[in-house]
Amino acid sequence: MASLRKTQPLLKIANDALVDLPAPSNISVWWNFGSLLGLCLIAQILTGLFLAMHYTADVNTAFSSVAHITRDVNYGWLIRDMHANGASFFFICVYMHIGRGLYYGSYLLKGAWNVGVILLLLVMMTAFVGYVLPWGQMSFWGATVITNLLSAVPYVGNALVQWIWGGFSVDNATLTRFFAFHFLFPFVIAGMAMVHLLFLHQTGSNNPLGLNSGGDKVPFHPYFSYKDLLGFAVLLVVLATIALFTPNLLGDPDNFTPANPLVTPPHIKPEWYFLFAYAILRSIPDKLGGVLALLASILVLLVVPFLHTCKLRGLTFRPLSQFLFWALIANVVILTWIGGMPVEDPYIIIGQLASVLYFSIFLILFPLAGWLENKVLGLT
Amino acid sequence: MGGHFGDLARMRHVVTYSLSPFEQRAFPNFFSKGIPNVWRRFRASVFKVAPPMIALYLTYTWGNSTYRASKRKVHADFENDE
Repeated sequence: MASLRKTQPLLKIANDALVDLPAPSNISVWWNFGSLLGLCLIAQILTGLFLAMHYTADVNTAFSSVAHITRDVNYGWLIRDMHANGASFFFICVYMHIGRGLYYGSYLLKGAWNVGVILLLLVMMTAFVGYVLPWGQMSFWGATVITNLLSAVPYVGNALVQWIWGGFSVDNATLTRFFAFHFLFPFVIAGMAMVHLLFLHQTGSNNPLGLNSGGDKVPFHPYFSYKDLLGFAVLLVVLATIALFTPNLLGDPDNFTPANPLVTPPHIKPEWYFLFAYAILRSIPDKLGGVLALLASILVLLVVPFLHTCKLRGLTFRPLSQFLFWALIANVVILTWIGGMPVEDPYIIIGQLASVLYFSIFLILFPLAGWLENKVLGLT
Repeated sequence: MGGHFGDLARMRHVVTYSLSPFEQRAFPNFFSKGIPNVWRRFRASVFKVAPPMIALYLTYTWGNSTYRASKRKVHADFENDE
């Protein structure tokens, strides 16, 4: 007599994903970030929903509605701080999750990987439009700078930008539609996350050895249900620490000033999680070139599976590629730093060299190292 | 969806043995072997992780000091002023 969790149609779906799912016994902490992203999404949707009950998406009242939430709404200050810092934690988890995928060769699960790239783009778009909503100086001018990039599209660029704006500049029409997008996209992300898991569960998870783990699986519950729960606790403690002790650590002081289209801040920059892409954008003096480089910096992930050359799946037993991986991480940190600096010497040349290195690592050095490791390890 | 227990891999002639949790220590040699093991794992990875991070630090400090210097007056440029 099979248990209800295995026969009832709805419970069966939950069971096959969270209870009886065969999981490799050796997946490490780097495999926690998937479930942590799910937690971040739920946390952002819940805090966002409560913020949406009090926020007004109108240029005359948006900024003060956020102040009203922070000062008058019961625990509004906490909901607002958790939502703002929750976005940063979302990106911390996203970058760790992608790093795991690159390091352990998980990108060879192409279905899950490609849906993952779509999820990354959706999360970035959600965060971008969300940052506009408080209608501070950086909200307004960040939106102006980035939406203006679309004018680089040949022939239809200017029409495209005005279509997105709903007018001739970032104004009320832009704010209201950005609020609509910011509310909608998380549900699209939730749906795509389910597609992401659908693809993942066709094969099951990768593992740190990169070998077939069919002979050594354990059930998801209790091993990874409890491990993920511990991960949730750690994330919530760190998020609460930031939100309660240093809520403005990752923010920009300019966003405490209401948006003023007549006053341009001296240094317009996005939030930290976009700075590496911002640096790549600014490294090319041509507008269209910069926009293409910006897109390529994310879309390069789609070609990574096709550039896998080594017979070994992950980097666990590949010291040369490991060195390149850490070079990539250090390079992205340099790009993040440069993205927050003014466009002056020596930051210009550093940014350009780091951008070239970023693409070189993905397109040339990683494949070359894999090919070399095949030879050195006698795998061919 | 995906694999199910009982249908994952063909395994034959594999015998596993285990001790009851009541017959063993929960964290055997946690410090006496654990700490040397941390040192072993550090040595195995330090020359792959540290060089890029050192390059990062050096680039950061050089870049910032060069920028600050570019904003300062260079006295040699004004030596021949009256």
